[in-house]
Amino acid sequence: MQVYLPIAEISVNLFLILGLGLGVGFLSGMFGVGGGFLMTPILIFIGIPPAVAVATQTNQIVASSASGAIAHFRRRSLDLKMGLWLTLGGAMGSVIGVQIFAILRAMGQIDLVIALLYVMLLGAIGALMLVESGRALRRRWQAQKSGQTWRPRRRRKRGMIDALPLKTRFPVSGLYLSLIPVLGVGFMVGVLAALMGVGGGFVMVPAMIYLLRMPTSVVIGTSLFQILFVTALTTFLQAAQNQTVDLVLAALLIVGGVIGAQYGARAGQKIRAEELRAALALIVLAVCLKLAWDLGTPPVDMFELLDGRRGSA
Amino acid sequence: MTRPGPFAALMIGLLAFVMAGAQGRPPEEDRATGIVAALTQDVVEIQSTFDGAELQLFGAASGLQPGDDIVMTVRGPRTDIRVMRKVRLFGVWVNAAPVRFREVEGYYAVASTRPLNQFATFSALRRNGIGMEHLRLVAPETQRAQTLFGVSDVVVSELGGEIVDYRQAIVRNRAREGLYLEDPQGVEIIDGGLFRARVILPPVTPVGEYHADVWLFRDGAPIATRRTTLEVRKAGFEQGLHDLAHRHSMIYGLLAVILAMGAGWGAAEVFRRR
Repeated sequence: MQVYLPIAEISVNLFLILGLGLGVGFLSGMFGVGGGFLMTPILIFIGIPPAVAVATQTNQIVASSASGAIAHFRRRSLDLKMGLWLTLGGAMGSVIGVQIFAILRAMGQIDLVIALLYVMLLGAIGALMLVESGRALRRRWQAQKSGQTWRPRRRRKRGMIDALPLKTRFPVSGLYLSLIPVLGVGFMVGVLAALMGVGGGFVMVPAMIYLLRMPTSVVIGTSLFQILFVTALTTFLQAAQNQTVDLVLAALLIVGGVIGAQYGARAGQKIRAEELRAALALIVLAVCLKLAWDLGTPPVDMFELLDGRRGSA
Repeated sequence: MTRPGPFAALMIGLLAFVMAGAQGRPPEEDRATGIVAALTQDVVEIQSTFDGAELQLFGAASGLQPGDDIVMTVRGPRTDIRVMRKVRLFGVWVNAAPVRFREVEGYYAVASTRPLNQFATFSALRRNGIGMEHLRLVAPETQRAQTLFGVSDVVVSELGGEIVDYRQAIVRNRAREGLYLEDPQGVEIIDGGLFRARVILPPVTPVGEYHADVWLFRDGAPIATRRTTLEVRKAGFEQGLHDLAHRHSMIYGLLAVILAMGAGWGAAEVFRRR
């Protein structure tokens, strides 16, 4: 059954989109990631214009992070003050990211930049995850052999972040920290949301743990809080400035994603973390390779037709 | 698609036109020729299940003689487009060298009783923009007036012969999407002066005003022509959403955010109770 997407202006198969939403939602529930970094490239593969895929995916992340953020808010497992500062940085990043998006679109380069960013990001994340989960698997295997229980590595020592000015107290996290790295992390995630249609949790969570040294108990809740508000703002800005949010596509993705995530979360509890991460790393690398391959293969046509109404290239 | 009521009425009307041309006129006006046409639909609505459409153009030519030919063109709404050439840079294909074309038809179909070059002169086709080689594809930013061979104000492209590659690229890309079609056997003469042609609209059909023209060609030149219009529009829900997104984009953005937050909150509630 075909469904016409009014903003993307193409027809897509209803069950294909619902199924993709379910599948990526399942993976995101299982691995505890937003899934934007998988869904956006897949949408591009099936022919959704990249600009629409990115903006619409941001809208889907609003829904998926909202349900998570609410749960953490009820449990009080978030640092509200830290979340608000991260959101402020994210808002600035989002505003600038949407402007960059508009400029690149006018230059006819937005599709290329989106694909290149994804190749770099997915390649880096996939490789890191693969190496890390491989190491963990080997360590566990060695620990089992020698009969010892394996403990994760201790956190790194304090760095130059403590030398930065504008220090303030974050009582929930128990930190006395400069606002500059907080705003910086938020800003970077905001730019990523606007340009790539991802929540940015995969960047923010490690940054919060290793860079800001927040206690892990509030990291997920705080990052979801920031992602919720930054993706909400990004969705609004993309709709207002670029008119690239497709509500029909977003609704289909949200329905599939929400249901898939719930079952994925249940399935995830039964599988061991290292195997899971290794599997996700392989999926991420596969998507990365496909994108890189498409960039390098000769195009179907040596010319491309673009809308001439906007921009002045 | 074709309802019997209006269709029958259309055929009777066309038949009457042919009869009038064939019999009802005095003999000295026997050479008078005319052509009329109508589409089975004059509005095509794009709804949520739209996957392209096919309609028929029915027409009648009075005073049709052996050796005459009929041509139909359908032109969609005009927009400016940019055409960019793909260039390989560090192993990656990137868009480069944009050329802006003014007022390019978003849809263009041409159908005829025979291949165009077998019955029509080059100048007649060029003047009326009939056939893929005769589409008006103008890139004003690359043009300048020059005096060539003693003739002043000859319009030449700064790109030289390369502009031809760009023009061909437009036709080729649009043809791949089913937006530009040429069918040299597309007009079928049913009987006497009655004829019909199919108009196929692909799923990516742009919305807007369409013009369907029919020409009666004799001795290489058109001797009668008639235009009808067709409107392609988004209907119902799709129309509403598209309008909202483009005319009230702030409200649309707010709506998108509120719906997503509501959905997320709803899901959290539903699955918490289980």
